[in-house]
Amino acid sequence: MRKILNKSFLLFTVLLLVVLTACSNNSETSGKKGDSKESGKAVEAKIGVVSYLTGPGAAYGEAITNGFNLAKKEINAKGDVKIDLVVEDSAGKQEQALSAAQKLMSDDSIVALLGPTLSTEMNVVGPEADLNGIPIMGTSTTAEGIPQIGDYVFRNSLPEALAIPAAVKKAVDKYKVKKVAILYGNDDVFTKSGYDTMKKTAEKMKLDVVTTETFQKGQADYNAQLTKIKGLQPDLILCSALYNEGAVIMDQARKLGIDVPFVGGNGFNSPQVIQIAGQAADGLIVATPWFGDKQDPKVQEFVKKYESEYGKKPDQFAAQAYDALYIMAEALKNAGEADRDALRDSLAEIKDFPGILGKFSFDKDGDVVMDPTVLIIKDGKFQIFE
Amino acid sequence: MLGDFLNPYYLQVASFIMINIILGLSIYVTLSSGQLSLGNAGFMGIGAYTSALLTINYDMPIVVSVIAGAIVAGLVGILIGIPSLRLTGVYLAIATLGFGEVIRVFMINWESLTKGAVGLSGIPQIGRELLKVSRDAGFNPLDIGLKNNQYVYLLVLIILVIINILLIWFLVRQNKSRVGRAFAAIKMDEKAAEAMGVNITYYKVLSFVQGAVISGFAGALFAHVMGYISPADFSYHRAVEILIFAVFGGSEVIWGSIFGATFMTLMPEVLRFISEYRYMIYGAILILMMAFRPQGIIDVPLLQKLQLSKRRGKHGSKN
Amino acid sequence: MLLEQLINGITLGSIYAIVALGFTLVFGVLGIINMAHGEIFMFGAFVGVMVTSTLGWPIWMAFLAAIIVTAILGYMLERFALRPLRGKKGVSHLAPLISTIGVSILLENLSHHLFGAGNHPFKNAFAEIHFTIGSITIYVVQIVIFVISVVLMMALSYWLSKTRAGKALRATAENLDTASILGVNTRQIITLTVVMASAMGGIAGILVGMAFNSVNPQMGLSMGLKGLAIIILGGMGNVKGAMAGGLILGLAETLIVAYGDSGYRDAIAFLAIIVILLIRPQGLFGQKTSEGRP
Repeated sequence: MRKILNKSFLLFTVLLLVVLTACSNNSETSGKKGDSKESGKAVEAKIGVVSYLTGPGAAYGEAITNGFNLAKKEINAKGDVKIDLVVEDSAGKQEQALSAAQKLMSDDSIVALLGPTLSTEMNVVGPEADLNGIPIMGTSTTAEGIPQIGDYVFRNSLPEALAIPAAVKKAVDKYKVKKVAILYGNDDVFTKSGYDTMKKTAEKMKLDVVTTETFQKGQADYNAQLTKIKGLQPDLILCSALYNEGAVIMDQARKLGIDVPFVGGNGFNSPQVIQIAGQAADGLIVATPWFGDKQDPKVQEFVKKYESEYGKKPDQFAAQAYDALYIMAEALKNAGEADRDALRDSLAEIKDFPGILGKFSFDKDGDVVMDPTVLIIKDGKFQIFE
Repeated sequence: MLGDFLNPYYLQVASFIMINIILGLSIYVTLSSGQLSLGNAGFMGIGAYTSALLTINYDMPIVVSVIAGAIVAGLVGILIGIPSLRLTGVYLAIATLGFGEVIRVFMINWESLTKGAVGLSGIPQIGRELLKVSRDAGFNPLDIGLKNNQYVYLLVLIILVIINILLIWFLVRQNKSRVGRAFAAIKMDEKAAEAMGVNITYYKVLSFVQGAVISGFAGALFAHVMGYISPADFSYHRAVEILIFAVFGGSEVIWGSIFGATFMTLMPEVLRFISEYRYMIYGAILILMMAFRPQGIIDVPLLQKLQLSKRRGKHGSKN
Repeated sequence: MLLEQLINGITLGSIYAIVALGFTLVFGVLGIINMAHGEIFMFGAFVGVMVTSTLGWPIWMAFLAAIIVTAILGYMLERFALRPLRGKKGVSHLAPLISTIGVSILLENLSHHLFGAGNHPFKNAFAEIHFTIGSITIYVVQIVIFVISVVLMMALSYWLSKTRAGKALRATAENLDTASILGVNTRQIITLTVVMASAMGGIAGILVGMAFNSVNPQMGLSMGLKGLAIIILGGMGNVKGAMAGGLILGLAETLIVAYGDSGYRDAIAFLAIIVILLIRPQGLFGQKTSEGRP
């Protein structure tokens, strides 16, 4: 028995040594980077980014990091604040998000974290960041209860609890809706929590929910659900889906002859919907903080820059990321130093910050205070819904 | 001093390695009697949800709930294991794969209990609970120069290492016992083993259930280390990952799955800088392994060689 | 309403059946579960998107291109992931399973890099042609899919039972060594089988693209697992069983959505796997063999 114990101890020490040596190289190099620029009066700060860069949701992570990088370029060019981004991949998995965040947090020169992309990841990373006293801001985490994790947890993404009721209310008023059908992805946190909000909203507005149908990831055929919905003749379909699936659902619905409008959640709101579904996308109603065709020079400038840089139109994820870094920069400027606690306090004080999403403030929990714009797709374009 | 040395990132990666080793062992035990179970992700989920729900809803101490999680997974293992006995090889693998997916679908749909895809958050975390306890006892980790997260993950890692040592010790002992020999005999030739008087039914179910208990146990620990679980954690991808631990490292010897779990957990961390191509490399490694070393990296001859050279080294130093 | 749902179910089932044909062919000859089949299917669908949407070529070119690309993928799968394992001593029967899982991970992530993670629309005028009978809308594509699946199944059965190559293939499936002694070029036959199965995956890919207008890198996994369930349902290595199993699963999934709880749709396939394996392991249409399962 002793032999076995010895052996296993040996094995574990070897394992630990492997871990330590394998990883220590990286942190050394990143440490040096932080030291090299300590001159000038601009506030210099390193910010960690945890983003979903590989795997099925990589499109979100890509848009988000693009938004960050564009903002970084502009902020650094202005010169008040100098920001260095350290990007880590989470692959959409909690463990990897936590490892990535842990890696960033243990680098003392990093003052704040941006991300992770998914609410599931935030549920794991948030408590850890809060425990360690590093401010963390989600730019795409819309599920309920995220900023309530702790004092150091913020977000600038419009929560579903604000967006969905706004969109439903406008649609119900306009089309005199009585009967609704609900369709949602039940194996995804994002769409499931969107559904929870839809259900609550429908109950509150005393709408008659004729049926509630679900679909699962990777599904290509929604005809069965849609045929059933068609038979029940709702006035409006509440559909909690990510734009990838949502666009296909609309396409198949129109093919079946369902022509009632759809109300979608946050994840449904993307120019990609029009690209994928074409004409079938007409009649999609979403509430969003982001409207790319807004007659605001700031917004137009951002769209132009983003398009020339990355070759496609920015979606709300890119826009929210872009604003998030600006909010960070503003808070850093106000704090006057790259310190985690000072940054947290000055973040909490951000009020009426003029971003491309509109005027932005945090409430006492670090959640979003802003008025969403309700949009509808008409003639293959997002337009303001009135 | 100590504080500078203990980077929480390394501690955490090491903790994940420990949990994955337990998962690797869970598939190894079942494989040691010649059965391949791909349902271990499902058992892991059962253990995780049982333990998490017991602590959240009934304030049970983590120690008790983790054990309860393992036991419930084991009970389900008995229910699945007995009828599955008539299946062997690839057929058992597919049936258990189906079982794992069914468990996941139920976790998604049983919303009143599991909150569906949203998952369970706010599960008491082993390290943070212990931090609370030690704070109440008037001990502050800063006194020994440790930051909160260093202290938390150090405690988690120590607990997991102890559990791993006990588990490995038990399994190595078992391999040398009557039970282990029965497993090996069944793996070699089921009919011959039966003719020799080995109670096949008993030992096959035993090894299947052991696998279920161990993966349920790993799942419960996973829940209390992550603090958050959702059905997506226990999907097909997890089942494949667990399988890879044993097959990559070596499915013939216990050290194989331990090595496999360690290597496969470390690789994505070390290869982070080429993270975009990580999974493609992952796939390529699997293909190459099967082509050139299908028994896995660590096999019996390699172990013998290692032991020989170690013995020689010892003799050399004595002389 | 019921009629419409039946049409939905048959369309879905026909696609399942074509995917399962590829599975069952490889299993029948090699005794291997090809976990990469779903990903090859997905590549076929992407080739279809490239050809029709990006290049704007006609649909028959898409079929041709998809068949060629997936056949090449099939050849590479056989050459690099399966052949090295064959005839080697001490190789566990699980090795090909793992190896094909490796191929599936590789292909899924490769397609992420090549095509991006998003959904690609399958723009094709042919997919829009439809007619209405009463309140029911039927798309020509739905009929085409059903016809193609039946034709493929019948052609395959005929080919297997009547032609020389088909007989050689069955001989190889029966016993590799004996077939080899009797003068069958088994290596060639095995390669042919994998290539054919993959090409069928490619055809299924295009059909899914046309029917559902949705092509993404993740579709391979879910389709692959369904295909696996179907060959268990219909009997491993059984061509007619794959067809019947596909239709049964397609109809069952559609009907549970129509009259039950759509949340449990995915569970049907997996529950079917468990129940069939425990009650009738040879599958609904398989012959009972006296020997135990391998």
